[in-house]
Formats: sequence, C-alpha cells, structure tokens
Amino acid sequence: METTITPGKIDVIAVSGAIDALTAAELIAIFHKHIHDGHPDVIADFSQVEFMSSAGLRAILASVKEARSVGGDFRMANPSAGIDKVLKMAGFHNIVKIYPSVQEALASFGS
Amino acid sequence: MSASKKPRVALVVGSGSVKCAAALGLWKSLDKAGIPIDMLVGCSGGSLYTAGMALGFSVDETIQKTKMLWNEKVTEQKNWRALAGVLFPKLFNNHFGMVSEKPLMARLNSVFGNKTFNDTKIPLTIMATDFQSGESVPITNGKIVDAIRASVAIPFVWGAHKVGERLLIDGSVSDPMPVDIAIKEGAEIILAMGFQSPISPKIKSISRYAFHINSLITNNLYQSNFSFHSAAHHAEIVPIFPDFDRPIRLFDTDQIPYVIEQGEKATDAQIPYIRKLLNL
Repeated sequence: METTITPGKIDVIAVSGAIDALTAAELIAIFHKHIHDGHPDVIADFSQVEFMSSAGLRAILASVKEARSVGGDFRMANPSAGIDKVLKMAGFHNIVKIYPSVQEALASFGS
Repeated sequence: MSASKKPRVALVVGSGSVKCAAALGLWKSLDKAGIPIDMLVGCSGGSLYTAGMALGFSVDETIQKTKMLWNEKVTEQKNWRALAGVLFPKLFNNHFGMVSEKPLMARLNSVFGNKTFNDTKIPLTIMATDFQSGESVPITNGKIVDAIRASVAIPFVWGAHKVGERLLIDGSVSDPMPVDIAIKEGAEIILAMGFQSPISPKIKSISRYAFHINSLITNNLYQSNFSFHSAAHHAEIVPIFPDFDRPIRLFDTDQIPYVIEQGEKATDAQIPYIRKLLNL
C-alpha cells in the first residue's frame, strides 16, 4: 500500500495497493496525521486500490470519524468496480460521500 | 491475531442460489494453495455447497450432484393446497409455499441421504430463520437434509420446514451473509462469499412481485449485516465477490462451470494475502 498527497485547496490523497489487516493501521496513521496537520477536509482517491478487507472498511470509518470530529470531512473518489462492490455491499454509500471522480469530489467541497 | 498460534479460518458462503457455486472455485483455489479451512458456514444456496465441502465431496462430484439437485424441475410441482388457501382462507395453514416440497426433498435425500452433522470432516453450520420469532437459527446437528431444506425455504416458494420443535424458513430472511456465526465461533480470518438477489427490471406476475419485494428486503439486510460485522469486530473479513459478465438466474445450472471459474479467479487474486495472514 502506498499513498501520494497532491496539495491543493483540498488535498487529495491517492491510495494504491491493498488496504487490509497488514496495511490499514499505517493508512489510518497517514490520514489522521494529515487531518490534524491542518487539513480537516480530505479526498481519498481510491482509483488504484486493488483490494479492501474489513480492516480497510474500518480504516475508512476511522478516518471519516476523525475528519468530522475536527469539523471537516473525508470523502472518497473514483473507486474501481471491485472496490465499489465491497463499499456497496457494506452500505458505505449511505454514510460516506463517494464520487465517481476526483474533480467531482473537489467540486463537492465548494457546494 | 496471535503470532504464535495459527489463526482459525472460516469460509462463509451466503445466499445467492446458483452463484454460490463460485464457492467451489474458491475451494479449488484454496486447495491448490494448501490453505486449510477450520469451519464452514452456509446459508440458503450457500448451504448446498458448504454441506458438500464439509462432507468431503470432490468439486466434480458436487457439480454433478448440484445439477441434478437444483434445476427448474425442483419447482415444477405446485402446492395446490397452499394455492387454494390464497382463495379460501379456511384452507390456509399457518405458512405458505407455492411449490410442493416433494421434488426438493427427493433430490436432497438422493444427494445427502441420512448424513448428519456428525459425518462432516469440517465443522459445519447451516443457517435458517425461526418462522415464529424471526431470529436466526444456526443448525449444527441432526440430518443435513433437514438443515438444507429449512435453509433454502425461499419465502413464497417453499413453505417452512420443521426441525426439532422449531418451524424454520430460509436463512437469508435473517442472516443472508452469516459472518457473525464465524466470529462467534472464534474465527480470526473469515473468507466471505455471498451474492445479492438479482432485481428483475420487469415484474410480470404476482409471484414475481413477491420475489421482488423479498429481494429488496434481503439485499438491504445483507448490506446492513455485512456493514455492521465488518465495522464492529476485529476478525479479518476477506470479501471474495466474483465478477460475472452475464446474468445468472435462479436455476441457471448450465452456467455452473463459468461461475466456478469466476470464483476461482477471484480467490486466486487473494491467495498471496491469505498466505501472509497465515504466515505460510
């Protein structure tokens, strides 16, 4: 699992690889550090995420909770079909804002 | 997960009729990789396959048995007495199924005979639902045939089935993806395979309407349960959701080889990760 941060009005954190029991803690730490470094609003670009287990779902929930606890929001963009299937099966579309593209996720913070 | 002790691995196969045959592909993939399963949990369509695996049937044997067991002939014989009860309430008898259970029971008996849960090589749980209270009922003893008959009692299609003192119906009414049972039994790694009910774009009859409503409710329940158990527990749930490029309907047993292939492919992709979790 790797992350790349693209700074902007709202920072975009692109995640690649697998989010599972072996990598979720590291990802949570990265998201939380970023949120508490003065970036309460975060967009996670999931286009390059290849696999996600329940540990990955818990990492998303923890990050959403963290961002909202400091007045921001954690939004997701562009999950692949396989990852989106897991997100839908877990009902995450009802609790997390998920957009088909990074551009739409960025625009959502302006609205 | 303790580093010194091998984590317990469960395979959970939820509802999904013929699509559940993908579990055989999963089984093939695990077998190739030498990954053992410590417990099996099956619900509705998933109960047919987990029972076969638990009893030690080979993949080819299970395919043949499934084709014989699960095809349209199993629903050809109507339950006229129950249907009459729709028009004449005095004939209605507590529960309802449009289809006679006789062909289903004959086929289940020919495949599983008098096998019981004591005959399984891997511990097996089959899920059903208590018709009176709605609570989920994990079945771990008695005849396999009775457990499967109850677990596949699709609402409106087959009536409830009595197991012991309880009247039971389809496990998917209460727990379509029963990862909770694996968690409760102490599994630390749960391979979860299950399928949402297909939604037909056209509803051409009252029976289809009933199926449609049932599918909507079951699919929402599926999502709620899967979401809760993924978020609330520390067991590692590895979702294995094969992709299908074509519709797979309730009795499309001719699609079983393709379904198995997709199940194997989806599992192969997760083998390196599962091996890491197991320190293999």
